[in-house]
Amino acid sequence: MTAALLDRVATSAERLRSHGTRLSPSLAAAAFVLVVVGTNLPWATFSGFPGLMSLALYPAGSRIYVLALAPALALVAVRFSRRRQAGLAATLALLAVVVQTIIAIARDGGGLVNVSVGAWVTLLGALLGVAAFVALPDDGAPLPRSWPVLPALVEALAVVFAVAASLALLVYALDVEAPSQFVGFLLALGGGLVALNRLGLFEWLGALYARRQALTLVLMAAAAVTFPFTQGGSSYWLRVAANVGVFAAAAIGLNVVVGLAGLLDLGYIAFFGVGAYVAALYGNAGLGPSRGHLPFLAVIVLGALVSGLVGVLIGAPTLRLRGDYLAIVTLGFGEIFHTLVNTYDAYTGGPNGLSNIPDLRQGSFDFGLPHTVFGVELAGFANYYYLELVLVALVMFVFARLNASRIGRAWVAIREDELAASAMGINTVSYKLLAFGIGATLAGASGTVQAHVATQVSPDSFVFLQSVFLLAAVVLGGMGTVPGAVVGAAILIAVPEKLRAFSDYRLLLFGLLLVILMRFRPEGMIPSRRRQREFHDADGADALSAPPGSAVA
Amino acid sequence: MQQFFQQLSDGLVLGALYALIALGYTMVYGIVQLINFAHGEIFMVGAFGGYTLYHYVLPSSLPSGIALLLVLLVAMLTSALLAAFVERVAYRPLRNAPRLAPLITAIGVSIALQESIRLFYPNGSVGKPFPQLFPRGTVDLGGVTLTYVDLFVISLALVLMLTLRTFVFRSATGRAMRATAQDPDTARLMGVDTDRIIVITFVLGGLLAGAAGVLQGMIASPIDFKIGFIAGLKAFTAAVLGGIGNITGAVLGGFTLGIVEALATQYVPNGSALKDSFAFVVLVLVLVFRPTGLLGESVRSRA
Repeated sequence: MTAALLDRVATSAERLRSHGTRLSPSLAAAAFVLVVVGTNLPWATFSGFPGLMSLALYPAGSRIYVLALAPALALVAVRFSRRRQAGLAATLALLAVVVQTIIAIARDGGGLVNVSVGAWVTLLGALLGVAAFVALPDDGAPLPRSWPVLPALVEALAVVFAVAASLALLVYALDVEAPSQFVGFLLALGGGLVALNRLGLFEWLGALYARRQALTLVLMAAAAVTFPFTQGGSSYWLRVAANVGVFAAAAIGLNVVVGLAGLLDLGYIAFFGVGAYVAALYGNAGLGPSRGHLPFLAVIVLGALVSGLVGVLIGAPTLRLRGDYLAIVTLGFGEIFHTLVNTYDAYTGGPNGLSNIPDLRQGSFDFGLPHTVFGVELAGFANYYYLELVLVALVMFVFARLNASRIGRAWVAIREDELAASAMGINTVSYKLLAFGIGATLAGASGTVQAHVATQVSPDSFVFLQSVFLLAAVVLGGMGTVPGAVVGAAILIAVPEKLRAFSDYRLLLFGLLLVILMRFRPEGMIPSRRRQREFHDADGADALSAPPGSAVA
Repeated sequence: MQQFFQQLSDGLVLGALYALIALGYTMVYGIVQLINFAHGEIFMVGAFGGYTLYHYVLPSSLPSGIALLLVLLVAMLTSALLAAFVERVAYRPLRNAPRLAPLITAIGVSIALQESIRLFYPNGSVGKPFPQLFPRGTVDLGGVTLTYVDLFVISLALVLMLTLRTFVFRSATGRAMRATAQDPDTARLMGVDTDRIIVITFVLGGLLAGAAGVLQGMIASPIDFKIGFIAGLKAFTAAVLGGIGNITGAVLGGFTLGIVEALATQYVPNGSALKDSFAFVVLVLVLVFRPTGLLGESVRSRA
């Protein structure tokens, strides 16, 4: 009985598929019209909802995102494989934005009656759009295996455009005030990116990046340097960006340990904490026993060295262990650090920590004061932002050189198969110790800066969850790549900053994020090609036969 | 001297608890080589399951003996179901993934479970006073006082452990479990449904963890969403101490760790503040000097 029913459902789905080619374009066209009309009608019966939702003929707020996704409906007319996946991603995101906005309007206005006709029309359009791609058969020419090399000027312009578009999106995102609208923005952005990825845009950009590396790096650096000038003297987002920098530097350090050498370090934040306490005790706060203080550069070096030394001391006895034991032992050390700092309060201030750490001073330059550059006033935090930029650049450089060196290859070999690596003559223990020590050193260096950015250190900033936070940044961005750790840290710091209304759910979302990432995209957002092949072994034939020039996005 | 014996017996009670949780770690590790980081949270959710039953369902007129039995059963079932669910949803899809992936997933599950209780359990961020269903009273053994609850904890833990031991070493399913732990591929060739065995392992671990959750509520009353984290780590330490993958070892490790912790808290200066650090010190010492644990056979490194 049930079997017969299932059979009939399957046959009708099959029939729908075979008619899909004819049906889809009309569905998509209807959807497009409905969406365009719907977004130009009012969505809310009351004024005051973010995005002027009660006005007709004025698509703003989330209606813009819906309209921006609508062109994806044209994909029904393009014949190549993966158009169905791309279209589904875009239309599902469109549907999600509409539904989410309807819920937000109903919540703000006190019921579904306050949702106006435009929203319902758009919802219908979104449903038709999803149906159009569900019905679409997955046929057409496959995407090209390798991308044609375009004229240099065109490629350079594409790089410029990509960097500028990212920067514009970022600046726009920071400007979105209302949480509900920001959620809509994230949904639309996510769907759009997945769709573009399905269409192969990122593969192409990756290949482009490989060929135009210098240009891309210069442009990105330029974009990073100009960022404070877009903030109009306000320090809010500069503070956030400086925090991103601190965590990005630490995350890259963790990436050496986890991403390259494959050692899961769950107490990494302790090394960061060692650096922060060194800065608080011996920096210009002068809270240490001698009450003296060292110049800033000396403090960074001292913090990095002490932290590195601690790393080696901890690593030496434990790195002989298998990987998952190491994870627990490092976790244990992280907790011991927390307990020790908490308990022996003669210098560390115990549970209260050390506060009132003054701003950095180097010579006569005070990092806390605003400065005017080229007639633009930069808030005090711009100084820390630039300092972080230098630190991140330095850490990136170290990482990139290590990755490309004999040492980096030895680490990867150990990560893949320790036994085979040692049979090849690699001294696995000393190489692992080196990775552990370098990771700790980099964490210590960023910790020293963090003490000044946060103006205080306390044991509760260096707990297990912070280690998980850094790990999440590495995993989300992509294990073993430089941009991955930076992107991961930026997302994990900046997005919660925007979603303060949901801050209670932050940790829950972290946990779920880790689970979902490992399940569906263990290689992260910006994977290293090696990693991606490793994680997708089953469908690996495709990746292995890809020509060497084609990076994977 | 009297104080020494008092600490020793307190250590036994603590150790019984660690041993029950450690069994879940050790069995799962023995079969799928995964440190089930979320096991501590499975224990915690079990305690909440028992609390929920008592607080929201059971009539207050019920005799406390029956109530305790029901609370215990429901806690065990809650943990077992949760363990099976987590295995199915989070770990099974990653069975053949690189080692790091399931471990990171386990950390994610652990955080998600903690936060779910904190956010979605009614008033979940506040500790819940666990119902004291066992008669109060103490026994005096030559100066060493043990409460009835202490005795109950130790005896229930021993009964459960013996039952488990009998199951694993006497039943057909137990034999299949041991075969899967030894060599999953060969076990499959011999007709063992390894997927089923893995679920059963998680369920068994969950049952014991749920019972431990109730016992934890009985000896250290307010339960909250955080109790699983430290307890889980200590139980893992106990499992490693005894030799991971070894059931008898987990029990021995649990009692040893409990006793070491109780004694160290008493005799190390500033000991009570450092209470939670001793387990890690023990863990590091064991791993450095005897990585196979007290009873461990050689740890085979199966990549």
